[in-house]
Amino acid sequence: MTQADVVTADDEDNGLRRSITGKQLFFYTLGDVLGSGIYVLIGLVAAAVGGAFWIAFALGVTVAAITGSAYAELVTKYPQAAGASLYVNKAFGNKALTFLITVSFLSASMAATGSLATGFSSYFATLFDDGGPPALLVSLVFLALLAIVNFIGITESVVINMVMTFVEVAGLLIVLVIGVWFVAQGKADFGTLVEVDVSGDFGSPALAVLAGIAFSFFAMTGFENTANVAEETIDPHKAFPRSLVGGMLVAGLVYVLVSMAAALTVPVDTLAGSDAALLEVVKQGILPVSTGFMTTLFSVIALIAITNTTLVTVVTQPRILYGMAREDVVPGVFAKVHSTRRSPWVGLVFCGAVVAGLLVIGTLLTEAGAGLDLVNRLALVTVVFLLAIYALVIVSCLKLRGRDETEKTFRANTPLLFVGLVGNLAILGFSIYDDPTSLIWCAGLVAVGVVLFLLEYFFGNQTRPSGAERGDPEVVDEKGA
Amino acid sequence: MHVIVATDGSKQSLAAAKKLKSFADPTKITDISVIAVIRPLASVAFADELSGGSTYAAGPETSFRRAAEAASEVVAAVFDGWGPTVHKRIRSGSPANELIKAAKQLDAGLVVVASGGRGLSDAVLVGSTAQRVQHYAPCPVLVVRPKPRQRR
Repeated sequence: MTQADVVTADDEDNGLRRSITGKQLFFYTLGDVLGSGIYVLIGLVAAAVGGAFWIAFALGVTVAAITGSAYAELVTKYPQAAGASLYVNKAFGNKALTFLITVSFLSASMAATGSLATGFSSYFATLFDDGGPPALLVSLVFLALLAIVNFIGITESVVINMVMTFVEVAGLLIVLVIGVWFVAQGKADFGTLVEVDVSGDFGSPALAVLAGIAFSFFAMTGFENTANVAEETIDPHKAFPRSLVGGMLVAGLVYVLVSMAAALTVPVDTLAGSDAALLEVVKQGILPVSTGFMTTLFSVIALIAITNTTLVTVVTQPRILYGMAREDVVPGVFAKVHSTRRSPWVGLVFCGAVVAGLLVIGTLLTEAGAGLDLVNRLALVTVVFLLAIYALVIVSCLKLRGRDETEKTFRANTPLLFVGLVGNLAILGFSIYDDPTSLIWCAGLVAVGVVLFLLEYFFGNQTRPSGAERGDPEVVDEKGA
Repeated sequence: MHVIVATDGSKQSLAAAKKLKSFADPTKITDISVIAVIRPLASVAFADELSGGSTYAAGPETSFRRAAEAASEVVAAVFDGWGPTVHKRIRSGSPANELIKAAKQLDAGLVVVASGGRGLSDAVLVGSTAQRVQHYAPCPVLVVRPKPRQRR
């Protein structure tokens, strides 16, 4: 028989089946966003703004949700796994820019992993009376375990993902219940919620709120990783706009309510001075339950929440390197997968090593008395990278209007996109203005990417598809895109 | 009889397909379904080491779906002109689950899987696809093992 007998079915029943439903996508977004910061950063935001710090969360999540709508539009046009680099490449067609965006995204993801791992160790320490094992050790072991888990493939379970998201939401619900209980007892002073602290570093209320948004923005990130599953989502045209923007809005609502609950129940000074600020809410002993038990329970929940988000970042990094290796802009060894596990183990080990390097350098600097707060520093580095990427994604979205559109394409609200663009740039500007040294860390991470490129350029073998130019992402595909 | 041949894009899965062809009687087989399963939440959702990657784009365009199509194309080509009708199917999810589900849906008479590694990791880490398919498949399973590196 000949090729003509080969049947390729193209329908849902037996041909090209996809697996991610809109509901799963919603929880993926929610879990990814919720875990990434509120457990860690709320103290810092409270310190910057004062009792009204919920406003910072509300505004921050609005900017992020608008950016999410740009992502949703682009995903429905180009439902591939690559996210920002793909969109920027489509819009500008500039290889150097695409490379820079890809490396920036990888760097953002690594810095986020570092920040989350450090946050993990802060909450881990609260489980022990004497502070437990050294924080750096906890972070490094945490990282190693996640890498192993990723290698084996447990991360791939949609069910585990959902369960972890439910646990995350449950943790924040505990804070809400405490808040409601406190209000019901009539002890709450609602005046706190409109207090903006202008006595600190930021002289005007507007600047204080902007600072709060910048510090809280790490909590809004993570949604961009949903592009990972774009290709495998059922009916992405409907599912993406709803699940992505819906997930962001629900996350935003939770953030605002949790911030209010925290501000009402705990003195802002106490929140501001705490490494694990949400724990302070539980420690107030407002609920008629043993405080010791609640503290332990809440710490465990926080650890799970942070783990959930970190897992996604740990999965994403080797994937980015895999794509780049196939494009021949980094050494081909990153495109190798393990023979049984089908995991890109070289990429996994490499990314783990870079993040471990960040943690070690950060810890050494702190001990040398550099006055460095590692969680915040790495969160800020992540945010600087991501804000630049978000702004560029919105620009790409606007630039790609009228191209590759079908009647099914989701269209984000144009005036809102401009608002989102200005918002992203304003937060970016403030972040850099507030802490210019973050740029040094950013440069360091981008340098890692450039070194890899140079290694490939001078010593690499050709692994890209035949006929493709180095770094040319638009190669040889006749039927696709 | 309907036979399912699984591919994860590895050379070993191609070897498994060839193994089936080397001894099976094509007149007894009506259909062959080559099934590639994409793992959406994995770092690399599908790694194609068979087609040479010339049929789909790299980099930002990385499409795991096209990688899966390309790999199943290569495996399906093994059975060109052999007799049975060849189908290619791409599924997504956990490989073992999807293969077992497919075996039920297609009322398969045999599932052919490769059991990839020969290294240490295979001995240490439990839960490979081949193992789970063997345990839960509704039909016989042919597990094609790699040749040992050397005789002990």
